[in-house]
Amino acid sequence: MKIYFKTFIAIIFGVSLLGCDPAEKQNKNEEFPILGRKQFVERTVNGETVVDTIDHTIPDFRLVNQDSIWVTPKSFENKVYVADFFFTSCPTICPTMKKEMLRVYNAYKNNNSVAIISHTIDPKHDTVALLKDFAQRLDVEAPKWNFVTGNKEEIYELGQKGYMVTAMEDENEEGGYIHSGAFILVDKEKHVRGVYDGTNSNDVDRLIKDIDRLLATYNEPKTKS
Amino acid sequence: MSLKQSLSYITFLSLIFSTGCGSYSEFSSEATKDYSRAEMQKFAKYMVAGKQLYTTHCSNCHQESGQGLGKLYPPLAKSDFMMQNVNRTACLIKNGIKGEIIVNNITYNQEMPALEELTNLEVAEIATYIYNSWGNERGFVTVKEVETSLSNCQ
Ligand code: HEC
Repeated sequence: MKIYFKTFIAIIFGVSLLGCDPAEKQNKNEEFPILGRKQFVERTVNGETVVDTIDHTIPDFRLVNQDSIWVTPKSFENKVYVADFFFTSCPTICPTMKKEMLRVYNAYKNNNSVAIISHTIDPKHDTVALLKDFAQRLDVEAPKWNFVTGNKEEIYELGQKGYMVTAMEDENEEGGYIHSGAFILVDKEKHVRGVYDGTNSNDVDRLIKDIDRLLATYNEPKTKS
Repeated sequence: MSLKQSLSYITFLSLIFSTGCGSYSEFSSEATKDYSRAEMQKFAKYMVAGKQLYTTHCSNCHQESGQGLGKLYPPLAKSDFMMQNVNRTACLIKNGIKGEIIVNNITYNQEMPALEELTNLEVAEIATYIYNSWGNERGFVTVKEVETSLSNCQ
């Protein structure tokens, strides 16, 4: 009986190892996909139809940051950046998101290839002056970390169509808005490369690893340098 | 000894161990040194319930550690503002607070939302927890105290 039991345990153990191993390997070598819906565009070359695949890219935007400076896609030229959506008076997930984003900020404080943009979804309340105060109270600065405001519809559309996250008003929700706690990683070509839960420190650890990984694809040094 | 006897013996022993003063040591401080066993037991209950409520309702802003976040959310750990006035704390837990306040020489000015659905007991549990954690040692904040405080909020 005892021997059977031991064999049983050994088998279970072995199977569980087998089960894990390939998955883990796959994880390690996992590609770094470009997220979002692809578009297929047909065009004619020398009388033949070819189909081009166009990856989802962040559309143009023009918003203003805590220093009253315009922020556009050009502001992130040659940078990878992390985007999120919040509002300063948000009582629920935003404080945690800001604490987590602060970790990202500090990890890349001296690395000019990484930037952050936090969009307010309550631009009526979150004026430039208020965002300035907010940034100062967090002890962070633009252009590394931009807190941006602007036209409400533009911000909502950018969130939904560009970064593929929820951001909208909803009077039934605590604080008056629903919005996702996502952190979105965008590469230098304006492609979305990852979406992370900004309220979960494990996921934000993963984000920091992915930023390093992404920088490495541009042959750039990582966090520590 | 029969099985039944020894079982009840073990139960008896474990009861002694689990309710002995020793098991409350994690909650004891200068402030609680004169508490009776019964008081200590109640205090421990408040601390446990208070911690849970704190984690749900407060820790996203003031953090698990009570340290707050930058100059946005003030610390509760060793907060002079809090220590000055327990009545005010009970009121702000229930009704929220806004406008400038100064905590440990730093000015804060952000709105803290109200939590009107909290019962007096829950306010007392939270208050007991924050007044006796992270180096704060005030001792019990009772439901009676909270009742009095809440009926005199500004
Ligand atoms: C949405 C964020 C948020 C939440 C949630 C929150 N607070 Fe606050 N709290 C604040 C802010 C901001 C202030 C400063 C208010 C001001 O500037 O007028 C504050 C002030 C305080 C103060 C007085 C200042 C100090 O540090 O001594 C106490 C005590 C306090 N909060 C306790 C609590 C407790 C207990 C809870 C949970 C029941 C809680 N807070 C939940 C944001 C929050």
